[in-house]
Amino acid sequence: MHPAIHLTLVSLIQQVLVGLGKTTTLFIVSSGLTLVLGVLRIPNISHGALYMVGAFLAYSITRMLGGGAAGFFASLLLAPLAVAFLSLLAERFLLSRLYERDHLMLLLFTFALALIFDDLVKIVWGSGYRSLPLPAMFQGSFSFLGLALPRYSLFLLCVGPLVAIGLWFLINRTKIGKISRAAAVHREMVGAVGINVGWVFAAVFMIGCFLAGLGGALVAPTQSISQGMDASIIIEAFLIVIMGGLGNVWGALLGSLIFGLTDSLGVLILPQFSIVFPYAAVIVVLLLRPSGLLKSAW
Amino acid sequence: MRKSWAFIVCLGIVFCLRPASCPAAEAAPITIGIVDTYSGPASYYSNDVRDAFLLMVDKINASGGILGRKVQVETRDDKFRVDVGLAEAKELIMREHVNVLMGTINSSLALALADLCRKEKVPFLATMAKSDRLTGADGNRYVFSVNENTAMIGKAAALGLAPRPFNRYWIAGDDYEYGHALAGSLWKNMKKLKPGAVLAGESWWKVGEPDFTPYITAILAAKPDCLIVATGGSDCVSFLKAIKASGLNHKLPIFMHTAADSVKSLGLDGPQGVLCTGTYYTYFPKTAANAQFVAEFEKRYHREPNSGALYGYLAAEFIQKACEKSGGMDTEKFIDALQGLSVESPVGSVTMRAFDHQVVLPMFMGVTKKEPGFKYLVAEDNVTIPGEQLMPSIAEIKQARAKH
Repeated sequence: MHPAIHLTLVSLIQQVLVGLGKTTTLFIVSSGLTLVLGVLRIPNISHGALYMVGAFLAYSITRMLGGGAAGFFASLLLAPLAVAFLSLLAERFLLSRLYERDHLMLLLFTFALALIFDDLVKIVWGSGYRSLPLPAMFQGSFSFLGLALPRYSLFLLCVGPLVAIGLWFLINRTKIGKISRAAAVHREMVGAVGINVGWVFAAVFMIGCFLAGLGGALVAPTQSISQGMDASIIIEAFLIVIMGGLGNVWGALLGSLIFGLTDSLGVLILPQFSIVFPYAAVIVVLLLRPSGLLKSAW
Repeated sequence: MRKSWAFIVCLGIVFCLRPASCPAAEAAPITIGIVDTYSGPASYYSNDVRDAFLLMVDKINASGGILGRKVQVETRDDKFRVDVGLAEAKELIMREHVNVLMGTINSSLALALADLCRKEKVPFLATMAKSDRLTGADGNRYVFSVNENTAMIGKAAALGLAPRPFNRYWIAGDDYEYGHALAGSLWKNMKKLKPGAVLAGESWWKVGEPDFTPYITAILAAKPDCLIVATGGSDCVSFLKAIKASGLNHKLPIFMHTAADSVKSLGLDGPQGVLCTGTYYTYFPKTAANAQFVAEFEKRYHREPNSGALYGYLAAEFIQKACEKSGGMDTEKFIDALQGLSVESPVGSVTMRAFDHQVVLPMFMGVTKKEPGFKYLVAEDNVTIPGEQLMPSIAEIKQARAKH
C-alpha cells in the first residue's frame, strides 16, 4: 500500500477552505476556554462537557421546533444560552465559593463538573446516538470554478469571523471587557476600586461557556451526538489554547488556524498519517515558542 | 461441662428437626455472568444483547428452567475498561461461581476474559467483540464466539464487492484495531478474488473524529471507483451524516459494514445507496421466527431490537441446548455438547463450528434505501451470503494458531 498524493491547485484551495470551516468550531470552543483561563485563571475541564450539553440541547430544541431550518437557527441561539445559564448556576452556587482556594481545588472541581454534566446527559438523553439533519439549504456542495465546497463549511466560514469580531468588540470596546482585562491582571485592585469582581467573573464564565455551547450547537448537525464527544474536543481545545498562549483570544484564533489547516491539508497530502499533523504542529510550535505564540495572560 | 453437653444435644435436636426440604436439596440454579459495557455509547448494542438474553431466560424459567434448574443472570458494567471488566469477571467466577461467563463489546477485554476463562476453566461466550483473534490465533477450548468477527466481515464484503465493476478502491476508517482488522481482512480477500484490484489510497482518522469534511474532499480528489469505510460505533453515524451532507453518495459508490444499523438513528435523513453488510435486521430475514422475536422484544422493552439482540438470543439458545444435550452443567461435557451444536434463530439455523468455536453466521449485503412504512432507511435488495462461505478456513485457523 503506497501513500497517494493527489495535489492539484483546485484540491488544495478546496481543502484549505474546508479546513477553515473546521477551524471555526475549534476557534469558537477554544476561545471560550481561553477567555475563562485568562480572566478567572481556571483551566475549565468541564468546557468539553458543556460543548456536549450544547450539542444535545441543540438536538432537542431543533426537534421541538419541527426539525427544519427555523429550529436549527433557533437552536444556535437557545442552546448556548441554556448552557450559559447552567454554567451561571454552577459558578454562583459552587465555583464562586472556591476562588480563595488552591488552584488544584479549582482544577479538581471543574473535572468533577465535567463528570456531573456527563452523567446528566446520560440521565436526560440516554446513551444512544442522536442525530440532527442539516437544514436543506446547507446540504450538498456549492460549485464554483471547479471547486465543490460543502455549503455548511461556507456557512461556518461566515460564523467564525462574526464570533471573532463579537469577541474583539466585547473585550476591547465594552465596559465589562475592560474590567475583566483589568481583573485578569490585578484582581484585588479591581475589587479595591469598588467593582464587584464576583459578578465580572460570573459574566466572563458565562460568556466562555456560551461559546462552548455554540460550538456544540454548530457541530450538532454534522456528526452523531453521543456520549464521549466531549473527550476529543477538550484535548484539542487545550492544545490550541496552549499553542496560542494561555488566556489570549487571538492566540486561540491563531492556534485554531494552525490546528485546522494542518489537519485538513495533512488529510490531502498524506492521508494514512493524517492524524499526526496537527499534533506535530503543536510540538513544533511549543519547541520554538514554549510559552505559546502570543503573549500569555498568566 | 454439663452446660456444653446440653448445648451440643440441643444443636443435635435442632439439626434433626430442620425442614426436610431445605434449600440444599432443591436443584441449584444455573448462574450466568455477563460482563459488558452498559455505560457510554457502546451500550447501544450491549443493552440489546442483555435484554434479548433476559427475555429468553425468562421464557426458559417460565417453562420450568433447564432440566428443572432455574437460570439466574448476574450482570456487571465494565465501563469499556479492561481492568474493571477483568476484576468483575474474577468476582463473578470466584464469589458467584457462575457456570458460564458472557461478554463484551470491548475486544481487548474479551481477549483478556478468554484467557482468564481458560485458566479458571469456565466457558466464555463472546457476544459482541469482533476481534478474529478470539476464535482464531488466540482461541482456546473455553472460548466461543456467538457473533461475526472481522475476518468474516472482510470476507463477506469482498465477496459482495468483487463482482461489481470497481477496480480502484479507497479505504478509510478508524485508526484502531477494529478498523484496521476489518480493512486488512477485506483487502486480503479482495486480492484473492480479484487480483487486479488497486488500492488508490487510504485515510485513517482518530476514533470520534468530529469533522469528516476534509477527508471526504480529499477522497473525492483521488477519484476512486469505490470507497470502503471501515469504521464502527458512533463514527459510523457521523460518517453517514457527512456522506449525506456532502452528497458523496451521489458521486461515489460507498461500502460500510453495519451502515443499515447506524443509518436508523438518522431517521429519513440518511444517505441512500450506501452498500452495507449486516447480520440482523428487524425487517430481514422475513421469517416467522424473526417476526415473533421482534414482536416479543418490542412488547417487553418498547423499542426495536438491534443486531446485539440476535447475539443475546443465540447465547441463550446455545446455553440451553448444550445443557440439555450434556444432561447437566458439567463444564467439560457442556463444551463438548456446544461444539458443532445447531440452534434455530431469527436468521435461520445456526451452527457453532466445532474446530474453532466460531459461530457460522450468514451475512446480508444490501443497499440503504427509503421504503414506505419505515421511519428510517432500510437495507434493501439484500443478498444472503451463507455463513459457510465467509468463515475463515480451518487451515487458516491452524496456521494462525501455530504462528502464535
